[in-house]
Amino acid sequence: MAVAVAHAGAVDNRDHIHPEPESFIAKYIFSIDAKVIGVQYMVAGLLFFIISGLLAEVVRTQLLTPQGAIVSNDTYNAVYSLHGSGMVWMTIIPLVTGGFGNYVMPLQIGARDVAFPWLNLVAFWMFPVAGVILFSSFLIGAPDAGWTEYPPISIQGPPGTSLWCVAIFLIGISSTLTGINFLVTILKMRAPGMTFTRMPLFVWAQLATAMLNMVATTALAGALLALFLERQFNVPFYDPGRGGSPLLWQHMFWFYSHPAVYIMILPAFGFISEIIPTFSRKPIFGYKMIAFSSIAIALLGFTVWAHHMFTSGMAPWMQLPFMILTMIIAVPTGIKIFGWTATLWGGKIEFHPAMLFSLGFIVVFTLGGVTGIFLSSVPVDLHWHGTYAVVAHIHYVLFGGSIFGIFAAVYYWWPKITGRMMSNKLGAVHFWMTFISFNATFLPMHWLGLMGMPRRVAQYSDTAPYLLNSFTLVNQFVSISSFVLAASTLVLLYNMASSLIAGKKAPPNPWNARTLEWQISSPPPYYNFKKIPAVLKNPYEFSEPLPYLGLDPSDKDDVHPDPTHHTPVGAHA
Amino acid sequence: MAVSSLNSTHEAVHARYEAVDSLYRETRDLRLLGFVLFLISDVVLFTMFIFAYLYLRNSVPNWPPINKDGVQLPRFDVAFACVNSCILFGSGATMHFAMESWKHLKKAEFNLWMIATIVLGIMFLGGQAYEYSHVPITWAGSTLGGSFFTLTGLHGFHVFVGVIYLITLYIQANNGTYTGSKYFGLTAGTLYWHFVDVIWVALFYLFYLM
Repeated sequence: MAVAVAHAGAVDNRDHIHPEPESFIAKYIFSIDAKVIGVQYMVAGLLFFIISGLLAEVVRTQLLTPQGAIVSNDTYNAVYSLHGSGMVWMTIIPLVTGGFGNYVMPLQIGARDVAFPWLNLVAFWMFPVAGVILFSSFLIGAPDAGWTEYPPISIQGPPGTSLWCVAIFLIGISSTLTGINFLVTILKMRAPGMTFTRMPLFVWAQLATAMLNMVATTALAGALLALFLERQFNVPFYDPGRGGSPLLWQHMFWFYSHPAVYIMILPAFGFISEIIPTFSRKPIFGYKMIAFSSIAIALLGFTVWAHHMFTSGMAPWMQLPFMILTMIIAVPTGIKIFGWTATLWGGKIEFHPAMLFSLGFIVVFTLGGVTGIFLSSVPVDLHWHGTYAVVAHIHYVLFGGSIFGIFAAVYYWWPKITGRMMSNKLGAVHFWMTFISFNATFLPMHWLGLMGMPRRVAQYSDTAPYLLNSFTLVNQFVSISSFVLAASTLVLLYNMASSLIAGKKAPPNPWNARTLEWQISSPPPYYNFKKIPAVLKNPYEFSEPLPYLGLDPSDKDDVHPDPTHHTPVGAHA
Repeated sequence: MAVSSLNSTHEAVHARYEAVDSLYRETRDLRLLGFVLFLISDVVLFTMFIFAYLYLRNSVPNWPPINKDGVQLPRFDVAFACVNSCILFGSGATMHFAMESWKHLKKAEFNLWMIATIVLGIMFLGGQAYEYSHVPITWAGSTLGGSFFTLTGLHGFHVFVGVIYLITLYIQANNGTYTGSKYFGLTAGTLYWHFVDVIWVALFYLFYLM
């Protein structure tokens, strides 16, 4: 009985607190504070974003002329392979899970840290190491079989392909550990009163993502280990000449990499679900449907991988079920789109840069979703597969989805993270420049693909069936737009730098938002919450005045404010 | 009478398990869930290689396949594997008894069962090494060899790590790291060892019986 009381009420203040470090190294380099680790992920992710983005510009410069002006064909293959690998594994996944997940999620659930801070530290440091290994493969011959590294080309590929395996394996382990950490944190450490249906939608998105990370990423580790063994020790798995099967790699790779697209997009859905209600001054429409659709997407995400393989020669009977399941995924995704749109309806919309990027996200991600439905249809896919139409589709959902989401999140949480405001004017410039040049870059790629231009070629023929009868002109238009797109990032970097140097001090809650991270100072104190708040309402009640009544306003230190509002899984106060 | 005394012992074990401060209770909750999730993600790793094995097995008309020199590969020696499997399953049982002894505060018995588990684990690894040196197939020679050595090697690596883990736990337990109430490390070690056992059940069926 005494034990039960201790569990429910008189909780001490020692749990998940570690003393604030004094030395520079313990504070900023090997920190175990989730907020610092989150910022570390963001800085490293930004660095790899710039490197991978520059590689994309090499690709576009090469395609300015049909003969391919600047790099050899082999280098070109390496450049687009590392552009894809760098963007997927070193930029988007670490930014949306490790970066914003670490910084925002514990704050939003009212926790002082993640469940396993030391594991968090280890998981983070695998990431820059993996990034350095990945890009150092240029020194010994970079992988040249695309970011998917299909055998048998990847088996015969240059030595750097093995480094690629090691780097992606490492970042995979990092993702798995982060997934486990986040799952335990979200399931076990929510503030008292924060039931599942009072969780912010970003936390729901992180929950679904963590499930995917935990299960799917180890599958990738298996596929990579087998490829590594085949390359280094001749162990036959994928080489058809020795009884192996290239299709086996495709199955193993896509069993991870299709869920991985949801690892990249679900947190972005979470950003959008926070930003749209805040800047529309309306509770989110269909909270439960948006929350549950994240889980539905995560589960369905495991059943659709072979839609990447319609042209691979796999058993034809598999095509129909995978096509239907893929189309079904559009349903939970559509639920979210309709939920956000309905939130905007009749809202008092403020066109803050975060909101601009969120609205832009809805537009371009929906376009990418529509081409996704086309690609999931077997007859269309047979025609589109391996063309620039696929390149257009993936950039509409990854750049227009994940990166737009990341930009929105940067503008939204920047004042909380740095304690300084950014320029809204420069933010608007960044948005419009990005939005216009993004569409100018990737929209024409659809037509390039439909006219028959294959992806991953360093040279092409000039004569096209329509669009001025010239592949060259369209490619030049795309390349020049992509240079503008790259330049738009400079506006963001300038905005960040000037905010850090001379930005206005940020108030605790500049957007009048209702989630927990906005109820404490900017930047948050080391322990996040001196007193763990009790949560009484869902986080989107904008009609309630501030200080938000959804939080218990009582001020008694270290006393559990409301022991009756326990979560089913056991809360930590 | 016997039943009720058994119940009261179990109640005592349970009472000790609950008689911890809230900080220990909370972190134990987190660590237990985290460890189980880690084991689940590890299962996925084995599942991928098992999938690869079944996929490659089903892509040829006959199994065992012929190797690259056109030689028909034999089946594995089931009898030897049976003995070795029994050693590993036996170690699962001794691990269970070790954990139960600790919970019932029988430290001498705990030490005996732990040593038995460690010895059986090392014997299994020795048996594995013996089998590796005697099977007529090679790692790189055929898809059968590739899957067999990769999967059993991955499992053997897990057993090896497990043996080191158990030795560490044994030393810790005798240094007073754990008490009758606070013994999460032992729980995790037991879970890990049973996990290694269960994986072997699948591998034994797939390579020797199927």
